[in-house]
This record gives sequence, C-alpha cells and structure tokens, in this order.
Amino acid sequence: MTPAPSAAAEQLTPDTSEAAFRAWLRRLVTGAAELEAFDAGQIDAVMDRDSGSAVLLPEAQTALHDSNRIVLSALDALPGEVCVLDSRGGVVMANKAWRTAGTAHARAGLDVRAGEDFFAACRDVPDGERGYAAQVATGLHQILTRMSQTVRCVYVCHASRKRERFTLTMTGIVSDGPVNALVTREWNGEERSATPAPTTAPRRSRPVTVAPARAKNHLLAALPAKEYARLSTGLEPVTLTYGDVLYEPGETMHDVYFPSDCLVSLLTLVEGRRALEVGLVGREGMIGARLALGATTSSVRALVQGTGTAMRMKSARFLTEFRRLPALQHVLFQFTDTLMIQISQTAACNRFHLVEARLARWLLMTAERMASNEFHLTHEFLADMLGVRREGVTVAAIALQQRNLISYRRGNITILDSAGLETASCSCYRYVIGMGSQVRESAPPGYTSGR
Amino acid sequence: MARKSIKEKTPTEPITTVVAMRLYIAGRAPNSVKAIANLQAICRQHLKDCYRLEIVDVCEHPRRALDDGILVTPSLAKLSPRPGANVIGNLSDTSSVLAALGLQAIPQT
Repeated sequence: MTPAPSAAAEQLTPDTSEAAFRAWLRRLVTGAAELEAFDAGQIDAVMDRDSGSAVLLPEAQTALHDSNRIVLSALDALPGEVCVLDSRGGVVMANKAWRTAGTAHARAGLDVRAGEDFFAACRDVPDGERGYAAQVATGLHQILTRMSQTVRCVYVCHASRKRERFTLTMTGIVSDGPVNALVTREWNGEERSATPAPTTAPRRSRPVTVAPARAKNHLLAALPAKEYARLSTGLEPVTLTYGDVLYEPGETMHDVYFPSDCLVSLLTLVEGRRALEVGLVGREGMIGARLALGATTSSVRALVQGTGTAMRMKSARFLTEFRRLPALQHVLFQFTDTLMIQISQTAACNRFHLVEARLARWLLMTAERMASNEFHLTHEFLADMLGVRREGVTVAAIALQQRNLISYRRGNITILDSAGLETASCSCYRYVIGMGSQVRESAPPGYTSGR
Repeated sequence: MARKSIKEKTPTEPITTVVAMRLYIAGRAPNSVKAIANLQAICRQHLKDCYRLEIVDVCEHPRRALDDGILVTPSLAKLSPRPGANVIGNLSDTSSVLAALGLQAIPQT
C-alpha cells in the first residue's frame, strides 16, 4: 500500500525530476548509518515526521505497484466474484467477475466498488433489504473484530424487477496487522417464494443465517441455545480500551456489556475524586446488571482495566429480553449474588487485611479474569485499586517479588507462581471463589447447560 | 539521530536468552523483502528457536516507527537482551547483523 504523500512531497510539481525528489528525501535522513544505507540503495522508505507517514523511494513505489498489479490481475482472472475489504470495511478492490455480475444485476445488492465503504453500502439499501443488510453488517463486524472466522449470509435483492438471491461469504484474512476481509458472492437465481425479508424488529424470524460466534462470556455461554440465539440479535461486538469509562456514578446506563476478554473495575468514588475498587468483572459477568434490579443509573464508575472485546446491548433491549427470558433472569441473579459476595468481601478485606495479601488476591483475580499471567499496570493504578498509598504498593510488590511469586518490571507484572501467590493471598480470594462455585452448583439443571 | 550502539561480545558465549527484535519494513518493497529473508536465514542458523521477531510495516503503522525513532526502512532494532542495537539496510551484511545481535564480534579490518 502506498502511503499518502507528505505535505512537502505534494509541493513538488508533477514534472519535478526524480533527483529533486531524492534530494528532498535525503534531507529527511540525518543519521550517519541511515545516510550510508540510503546511498548504498538499501532503503525503501523514509519517515517524514511532518506528515507522520512513510515516503517510499521511487524503486520501492514501482515494485509495490507491480506486486499490487500482479495480485489484482490474479483476482481479476478468477471466475468467482471476490471483493477485498480493509480492516475498517473499506473496499480495497472488487474483481472483474464481481464488477461484471454487479452490472448485469443493475448494481443491486451491496454491489460495492473499490474505494467505497461496505458498511455504508449496508446502510444505503432499499427498505425491503434492510434486514438482510443488517445481518451482513453484523457478520462483517464479527469478522473484523476477530469474533468469527467465516460468516455466510443469504441475501435477496430486487434486481431488474426480479427478486434475486445470492450468498455472501465473508472470511477474515488474519495477518500480523489488522484483520482484513475477503467477501465472495454467489448468485443462487431468482427468488420465487414470497418469503418476507427479515427486519430488524426483534419479533420477526430470521431467514438469514449468521452463525453467531460462540460466546466467550460465561453468562451468555450458560444460556440455552434458543435464548442465546434470540439475545444475539441485539448484541454488538465492541472493543473496550484500557482507560475507557463505561459509566460514571449517577449516570444513566444506556448500554450493558458482556465482557469477552476484557476486564472492568467497579470503583466507588469518595468525595468525588478518591477512587477505591469494590469489584472486578471479566468474562464471568456483565456490566450494568443493576438494570435488572430496577435501577437506571450506575452507582459506581466502571473503568476498563484490561483492553479486549465485549458484547454490547442497548439497555432497553436488555430489559425487554430480561423480562421475557427466565434463563437470562437466572444467570443474572446468580451473577449479581456472586458480585455482592465479592463486593462485601472486598470491603471487609480492605479494612482488615495487609496490603501484601490484598495485592496477591487482586493479582490472582485479575489473572483469572484476563486468562493471562502477564499484564501491564502502574503502582499508581494498583494504589487506587487497593485504596492505599503508592509506597504501600511498592513495599508489597517488592515483598512478593523477593519470594519469587511475581516479577515486576516497568509496570509489567508476571505471576511466576500461582499456587504460592494463592498461599500469600488473604482468605478472601478462596472465600469468593468458594461462594461463587456454590452458587453455580445450586443452579437448576437446564439453565447452565452449554449450547 | 544515531542509535547505533553496537558493543563487542565474545563469540564463545552460549546463547541462553531469547533475542527479541523488531524489523521495520515497507510492505513488499525489494529491500524489505530481502531484509526479512536475510534475517530469517541468520536466525535459523544462529539463534535456532531462541528469538522473537516482530515485523512492523511502516506503510500500515507509520506512527509506531516514528514513536520508536525510526528514520528509514528496512531497519532492525534489537530490543533484548540489552544493550539494544540498530542495523539499517537490507541486512545482507551478515557479520554486522551478528555483531549487533551480540552473537559475534565485529571483524577487525
């Protein structure tokens, strides 16, 4: 991919000689080693601080252009209809078969072209196709957020006074960088039955089959298949980033979140500024469970502490489903009970136990919810979580490090000995774990059966 | 900005630590392709499985390169074990790459 030319490069007129361009690039290169490699012809690109982009040397530009052309020619030669999307749903290219078929069908049914936005195309469809397009957009979102590897959707469009049916298969292209997607389209002929198109209204059935990603969230995974399928139409995958605040105390909860692999701290604010963690929610729970108890506002600050993905649902939809689905009610009551145990035990723990034991408990809880023994955090953050001064955290971290239970370097914590850390932690950790499993075991059969 | 800080190390020292490296490239541009191939050959021969390599495409992630103080690509940064070192170019000069990675002394000429 050729980067956008920098502001300085744009000032060069089209007939500027290659020598002038090279002389401009040379001015960007200042280090001796870099200059030496530049002169030896071993450089492909130079970083331009002003524009914040990489400027390719002429040889590299030509080579990249040639290699892109080979890939595009190969895709054009394929008999199947293929369209390549970037990580944001932008259309990188649509091959010849795709373009030809699109023209033959009067460009009906998501017939995107290079440079267009696939999500925008899903929004800009005739009324009768909105349901299908919404399913396609949800499927593509799942692909780009790595929730699914392949999603297949059936789509019926109105092309030249006929109702034409086709199947879209969306596949993630996973590389070291962001996920891109490959979309293939297969026309299945004229739709003769008068099957109504799916709508986004929750009560309608869905002729379109989007295989829902297997839920990583334990509450969603505990729902019977039928209930989960119903709920999944209102769930939207989102990425939550470290430092995001989902709710502030007293704020209306517009959405609820079911963490898949992120971690959210529930903090109580004292005097509006000093924060203390009272709960920690990961894949085993949800954020916004208070809605189920009749509240509309949050009592705590919900702060994302570990970046990851979650499934989001509008509060209104959540409440509707909560009233309708007994299985959802059951798992939520169970979770609320576990969370209350955790909050009350944390309150007691903060008052009675030593910082070292509390730190050990907190690290174990975080590791369990993040499913990782290695994470990044600062002393300041830990001090807030444990409600102590930074110096207290330092002393406790050094003590655990000296016992070879953890390693702590520049904010990177690695748990070296989980069993040893559990021994060093206060009894609260084992108590919360024990109570949590007791609650789960008491669940009536059927509600916790996996799909 | 010169970030080249190659220090001599005895060649007899056994490799016990994992060498972490980051290679900045520009897509499939010729020198970048060569740099990847050259580095992989060096790693196969001298590091076996004791290395961790991250490849950053500056066309996709220019910000990362700028934040890391990279001026040109291809550019190899040795991150650990310390001391860090940088090698610029398509990495065809095996001896300077080995010296930067602390695997072989710089040949005295």
